[in-house]
Amino acid sequence: METSVLNRLDRTAAAYHDKVMFKDEHGEITFGAFDALTKSVGTYLAKKIPAGQPVAVMSGRHILTPSCFLGAVRAGCFYAPMDGDMPTTRLNQILSVIQSKYMLVDKAHLETAQSLDFDGEIIVFEDIMNTEADEALLEARAATLTCTSPLYVIFTSGSTGVPKGVITAHQSLMCYIDSVAKVLSIDDTDVFGNQSPLDYIAAVRDIYFPVTFGASTYIIPKNEFAVPTTLFETLNREKITALCWSVAGVELPAKLGAFDVAKPEYLKKLCFSGSVMPCKYLKIWQDNLPDVLYVNQYGPTEATASCTYYVVKEKVNDDTVLPIGKPYDNYRVTLLNEDNTPTPDGETGEICVSGPILALGYYGNHEQSDKVFMQNPLNDKYRELIYKTGDLGSFDKDGVLHFHGRKDRQIKHLGHRIELGEIEETAKKINGVTDCCSLYYKDKATLYLFYTGNATSKDIVLYFRQNMPAFMVPRKLINLEALPTLPNGKTDMQTLKGYFK
Amino acid sequence: MDELMEILQELRPDVDFENETALITDGVLDSFDIVALVGELNDAFDIEIKPNNLVPDNFNSAKAMMALIEQLQDE
Repeated sequence: METSVLNRLDRTAAAYHDKVMFKDEHGEITFGAFDALTKSVGTYLAKKIPAGQPVAVMSGRHILTPSCFLGAVRAGCFYAPMDGDMPTTRLNQILSVIQSKYMLVDKAHLETAQSLDFDGEIIVFEDIMNTEADEALLEARAATLTCTSPLYVIFTSGSTGVPKGVITAHQSLMCYIDSVAKVLSIDDTDVFGNQSPLDYIAAVRDIYFPVTFGASTYIIPKNEFAVPTTLFETLNREKITALCWSVAGVELPAKLGAFDVAKPEYLKKLCFSGSVMPCKYLKIWQDNLPDVLYVNQYGPTEATASCTYYVVKEKVNDDTVLPIGKPYDNYRVTLLNEDNTPTPDGETGEICVSGPILALGYYGNHEQSDKVFMQNPLNDKYRELIYKTGDLGSFDKDGVLHFHGRKDRQIKHLGHRIELGEIEETAKKINGVTDCCSLYYKDKATLYLFYTGNATSKDIVLYFRQNMPAFMVPRKLINLEALPTLPNGKTDMQTLKGYFK
Repeated sequence: MDELMEILQELRPDVDFENETALITDGVLDSFDIVALVGELNDAFDIEIKPNNLVPDNFNSAKAMMALIEQLQDE
């Protein structure tokens, strides 16, 4: 049994030494060269840091970034990736949670790193990439890892206004990667087209399919998603066979008519996740590429990226609602009622997940962790943790799971998970905002903020742009004399929804 | 031009549309801004922006966008 992802990297680095592992618009890196980089970074870090420590990594959208991640792992540590394009406030919040003593950055992000509230040491990747590997030291560090050691901490929106760091262990990631690979029949002939930011959970497939199976990944330049005329040409030039994209990413080319210009000729598999797929866009893909394998994935970061899948065998219509399907290998799904009793088939309950794929909790936050990772209330005989997703679902008579939205105020917007409460907590910090309520208009994928006070919409957008990730900036701002209330004093959200247009 | 500036300012009040000339090339506008913008421009100017028009040169500056709008209105 494998103890860590390093077993996988050792194997593929030997078997595919001269094959391209990652490629971007500026260059490419082979498995052998990648492996050597991880050993250089690992050796440098291991001489500085004890094993088992977090390493914050802030590096751009290029082929060297994954070697920073795996370099930290070679040192017996785990990585916390950060997107350097995020506003300073957000990056500082992440640093305050992860409290790492070292931050690994690429040269391009050095200035950003220096501007942050970080009193640890900043290490520049380019300065240490030629460190001579100390094999004995690396071997000793690899031996400190077990399959339950943390691999990475990835941050997600938290309703209290501070992001939560979800900790994933080596075995969880390996279980997930192997289960998805089985469904998608991944092997060393596959070439992935990476869409997700590299610091985001969805990128684990694009990074670990190469590490595990000897597949390759092309990191698509971000610009090509802004003007997708060249996107499909790029997929063809790079002979991309498989895409694991957010629903928002799959929608985009269909919405902007990219199929009128070109078709991805080599594509065999398209796996999408992150939010509910509007089938009018999937239909465009199916019409143009009828032989591609389409897989709908569902699942939260807390259960290692995804937990159920549905292979779309039928031809969809504009109004088809896809099921979220069956659990992957090593995932178990239980539905629970509010009173912690089992939900009968056909009825709606909260989707709860168990298995070796559960996250180790939220970093440095026992209180939040204990609230959602808890003993299975249906099991009083032995320890069995379940994760309560907050998502609602039902099983049909064939044991296929269907998704029915959230039980709280978490939404999915542009492929990202957002707590509306966090938008409100942020808005309340702005001078001139007295009270507010944030709602999501799903039909138009628009984030609304209703507020009282004398702030202008420009004040509010500027504040959000400076302090929050772009996907959390409200698009429509509506200034009201007072927020409508229900007889119990709570905000009347139904009335506010009347403003949607 | 005023109408266009108004749309742009509402979309991204943090961007200096008067002077920026590499909105796409420098990644100032992201894919989701473009999707929102294309919809608004189509409605406001009664045009239909086609995939072939979606190249950086047409969206790198407010001036370039205006030229595209005028060209599409003439067609």
